[in-house]
Amino acid sequence: MLSIPSTIPLLGWTWNDLLFLILAGGLLGSALMVVLGRDIIRCGLWMIVCFLFLAGLYVLLGNPLVAGAQVLVYIGAISVLILFAVMLTQSKAGPARLVFHHQAWAAALAAIGLAVVLVIVDGATSWPLAQPDRTATATTDVASKLFSDFVLPFEVVSVLLLAAVIGGVFLAKKDDAPRSDSDI
Amino acid sequence: MTQLTVLLLLLPVAGFAITALVGRRLGASSWVPAVAAIVATWAVAMVVVYGQLSGGNGDTGLQVTLYRWIPAGAFTIDFNLAVDNLTAALLIVVTTVGMLVHVYSIGYMAHDPGRWRFFAYLNFFMFSMLLLVLAGNFLLLFAAWELVGLSSYLLIGFWYRRHSAALAAKKAFLVNRVGDVGFALGIMAVWSTVGTLNFTDVFNLLPAKLASGAIQPWEMTGIALLLFCGAVGKSAQFPLHVWLPDAMEGPTPVSALIHAATMVNAGVYFVARANPIFSQSGSAMVIVAAIGIFTALLAASIALTQTDIKRVLAYSTLSQLGYMFAALGVGAYVAAIFHLMAHGFFKGLLFLDSGSVIHGVHDEQDMNRMGGLWRKLPVTHATMLVGTLAIAGIPPLAGFFSKDEILGQSFKAGFLWVWIVGIGVAGLTAFYMFRLMGKTFYGPSHVDPAVEPQVHESPRSMTVPLVLLAIPSALLGLGLGLPFGAGAISSWLDPVFAHAEQTLGRSPESFSLFGLDGALILISVTVAAVGTIAGMRLFGFHWPFTARETAPLPDRVAAITARLRPLYTASFHKWWFDDLNDLIFVRFGSRLANGAWWFDRTVVDGTVNGTGRFIQRTGREVRQIQTGHVQNYALGIALGLLVVAGGYLLLAGR
Amino acid sequence: MSQNLDAYLVLSALLFCIGVFGFLARRNAISMLMCIELMLNAVNLAILAFGAFVPSLHGNAAVIALIVMAVAAGEATVGLAIVIAIYRNRRTPLVDEYAQMRD
Repeated sequence: MLSIPSTIPLLGWTWNDLLFLILAGGLLGSALMVVLGRDIIRCGLWMIVCFLFLAGLYVLLGNPLVAGAQVLVYIGAISVLILFAVMLTQSKAGPARLVFHHQAWAAALAAIGLAVVLVIVDGATSWPLAQPDRTATATTDVASKLFSDFVLPFEVVSVLLLAAVIGGVFLAKKDDAPRSDSDI
Repeated sequence: MTQLTVLLLLLPVAGFAITALVGRRLGASSWVPAVAAIVATWAVAMVVVYGQLSGGNGDTGLQVTLYRWIPAGAFTIDFNLAVDNLTAALLIVVTTVGMLVHVYSIGYMAHDPGRWRFFAYLNFFMFSMLLLVLAGNFLLLFAAWELVGLSSYLLIGFWYRRHSAALAAKKAFLVNRVGDVGFALGIMAVWSTVGTLNFTDVFNLLPAKLASGAIQPWEMTGIALLLFCGAVGKSAQFPLHVWLPDAMEGPTPVSALIHAATMVNAGVYFVARANPIFSQSGSAMVIVAAIGIFTALLAASIALTQTDIKRVLAYSTLSQLGYMFAALGVGAYVAAIFHLMAHGFFKGLLFLDSGSVIHGVHDEQDMNRMGGLWRKLPVTHATMLVGTLAIAGIPPLAGFFSKDEILGQSFKAGFLWVWIVGIGVAGLTAFYMFRLMGKTFYGPSHVDPAVEPQVHESPRSMTVPLVLLAIPSALLGLGLGLPFGAGAISSWLDPVFAHAEQTLGRSPESFSLFGLDGALILISVTVAAVGTIAGMRLFGFHWPFTARETAPLPDRVAAITARLRPLYTASFHKWWFDDLNDLIFVRFGSRLANGAWWFDRTVVDGTVNGTGRFIQRTGREVRQIQTGHVQNYALGIALGLLVVAGGYLLLAGR
Repeated sequence: MSQNLDAYLVLSALLFCIGVFGFLARRNAISMLMCIELMLNAVNLAILAFGAFVPSLHGNAAVIALIVMAVAAGEATVGLAIVIAIYRNRRTPLVDEYAQMRD
């Protein structure tokens, strides 16, 4: 059997580090494709890729349960929903000036500035440099926490989801009755 | 007596109220309430006068306080009336002439549909004038002063549809106002220096204040001159004389009452009343005398060439008023008031006579279109002759006594220049008055042939007052002025002016008929006679009670006029005073006003409107931030967050 | 590198800022919603990173992340429903043409 060296030969990184770098790079790259793409369907697909990379990162952080939820919920439901909406609204692809606002440059500046500020803050704070705990969070632990410490948020979220469903249905259904123009 | 004094004011007010309210409906008899009120006022006045002059009210005269008008702490003014000998003298003139003018107006205004308004205004005027004469403090007198001015405005502009009348009324009021500014300032100065506005209090406090140095001599002069400004305006002295000739636009009774016998005398009355103030300032007295005698000369010179019969009389009034002020200026107070009374009667007579003439020739006022009227208007002619003799200063009529008194006093007080000019003016007066007589009554008739057959004497309601006025014009002098220097008028008025005479250092002298006084009388009578004879010869005369006539000499007149052409032109154009006023105030003033208007429009309005426009514009620009697009707002939030966080970072880093 | 909390936080921050840029710069309403999802995911990442490095938060982080996910799902639903409703009226999914309330 080949023995995998504990660190990468030339760079001295651990395998975790390498994995992290790959995932991080992929994440950022796909995110950029989401915001910079001109064809909105492509953007949606790149978003799915982005979610996948995130799921990988969650696993790296010791949360396979959340990673699974991410794949199920985000990719399986939300992304599909978004793609449906794109198709329903016949959003078209087009040149950059049709896709981006006039204020895109200002937005870029704002975003870059925000990034700089956040990075500086992060650098200035002294975090505890403990070893990451990669032990997978047990599902039973999550479940028991959900129904004991976090029962209130849990219930509230369920109500929220109910409201969202009802609201969504109501908003999106076709009106059969004639309505005046003063509604939305 | 107190109630009677109050009645003097209430009766004319009642007459005014009744006539104003129901006059229109009374139609032809609208004169009844007004005339009744005035006759009653005259009767009451005579009782009051008799009571005062016979010494019934003691040394201080009658003081009546009706109520507290202005109670404002240190500044308290009462509505108080004061009757002393000076007031009594004025009351005689005002009420008598007033009553006769009212009666005269019954006939004069008989064909005028607005006569109810006329009588209402006349009564209102009588009330104002009586209030002025009876007032016991400066502020009340000033209020009455303004009321009299208002009445004058209403009456001058009585025929308001006539453009020239409206203009004349406005002119009178405005010019009066100019004088009133100084007057008001003077009153304020009195209050600030003496602390009270009551006549008796002021006059009592004045000597002490002056002696103690609380009031400086220059302040005294200043106060006197400021107060004199009002008199200059009201009594039409130079330079505020320009309104009086134009005031002839009003009906003749108005001219007679207001602009001859009463209102214009208010200035003289006031200066006489304030004699303690004036006598304390020698320089003020000199200025008063100078303005007075200059006006006399100026007016007389203009009267020589005027052709409107009422204008000649108006300038004559100005001239005589100048005499009165000259008298006041030299300290001859008694003489001034004496002349005031005499003038009130004979000038009122002359004006009413002229009204009668105008009425007779159907509203023609130009003397060049009269002539030969002595036959057709006998009563008018006779009374006018009496009046003319009086004003010319021919003894033994009233004018001689009073004018002579003035001239004599000015000579003896050392004001030689006043005496010389006065003598000259006396001669001119006689001349132009007989010119007026000649052109109006004598010589060939130049009356418009269409009107000629209808020339008639006036009705009884007009001629009776004429006769009644002729009597005092003739006899007042004899009654009050004899014996010379010690007549009734002196005994009446000396106590009023005793204090002033003392201040001026005058001692009552005995009258020497065959000494200085006699010589002065001779000179003045001679000059008057010369003027009279010159006038008679050049303009014609008919000797009364005889058939003898002197024909006018128009060629001689033309020759003299040609030789004196520049002077004639200047006189005819009133020495171009009206044009000067027009240039300075109207033309230049309107340019100034236009400039101010430009400033107001451009700068002031510009600022106000500009501020509004600026705010609108900035609002419009700033509003563009509200695009309505959510993403713009979100960008704003992001940038704001950036700024706050970044700022916090920077500050926390320090 | 993966031993540092910093790395994960910086990554989360960058992802968040990319989301911000997209949200402010894209015209299509659905693109904006996609960027919102990116931002929410960045937050999730940060939460889980804290959970890994701070022992006391280890179990809680997962629960919190799940709840955030649920909320994000609800929000996406309603948001898309609104966009579809507006699309029916305006016939365009472009945000800067929803200018009815302006002026």
